[in-house]
Amino acid sequence: MSVVTLVLMALCLLGALVAVSVRDIVHAIFGLATALLALAGLFTTLGSPFVGAMEVLIYVGGISVAMIFAVMLSPQAGKGLRETPARRFGAAVIAALFFAGTGLALLNDTPVADSPEAPGVFAPAALGHALLGDWLIAFEVLSLVLLLAIIGAVLIAVREAPARDPAAPQNSQAATGEKVAP
Amino acid sequence: MTPLTAFTLLAAALFAMGLYAVLARRNLIAMLIGIELMLNAASLNALAFGRYGALVDVDPALAAVSGQLLALFIIGLAAAEAAIALAIILAVHRHRQSVDVDALDTLQG
Repeated sequence: MSVVTLVLMALCLLGALVAVSVRDIVHAIFGLATALLALAGLFTTLGSPFVGAMEVLIYVGGISVAMIFAVMLSPQAGKGLRETPARRFGAAVIAALFFAGTGLALLNDTPVADSPEAPGVFAPAALGHALLGDWLIAFEVLSLVLLLAIIGAVLIAVREAPARDPAAPQNSQAATGEKVAP
Repeated sequence: MTPLTAFTLLAAALFAMGLYAVLARRNLIAMLIGIELMLNAASLNALAFGRYGALVDVDPALAAVSGQLLALFIIGLAAAEAAIALAIILAVHRHRQSVDVDALDTLQG
């Protein structure tokens, strides 16, 4: 493994550590963006620069920015909430147990270590042929899922806007009540 | 340590940190960050196994293309999931003026 790969791995771990441990949400989002950028570099070293570019476009350019917008639109969302130490400790124990078990299993058992290594870099053309060939159904279903997600997100975020102000119907009711009373 | 082991260990560490964020954090956006970390660990695994982990009787190029496609599908689904989750967070904030998970106990009876 090259030095670049090791540096990217360390950067990815560092960014993820910031993302999950810092209380301020905006700082956590920046940590997430750092980790995802390093991960895109790792994807490129794994021979798939196209997936790395998609990672940068969709995750760093799309999801992280959408999270920032969510923080800007809802002031309370940016405030980090204080967790109890017991809660942090319990979650850390569970996560550490998971990592220890998985890591031991990975280090003890490497059945595919001597497999042939794939050639270096892949052209996106092969991905396109596979997407519109063997994987066509999955590709179309994914596009349908994305369309439904867009419609659903708009519905959830917009539809309840009139009900946002609970005082409005009460005021109109009170107004009619006043009209009726005299 | 083979490269495959290194990459899968990194993916396991990313997944463990995401799991910690989902379990420990009270802010909904912080939990969403944890979910994104776990999804990225999964796509890192897909790419690493596609590059290094092909079975001996499988064409390496086919395995690599399959791994990349799996990672692309995970990224696409994660985009849909993040859009829905952020819309839900905005709706929750509008109704409750808070994104505290512990405060969302209306259905608890």
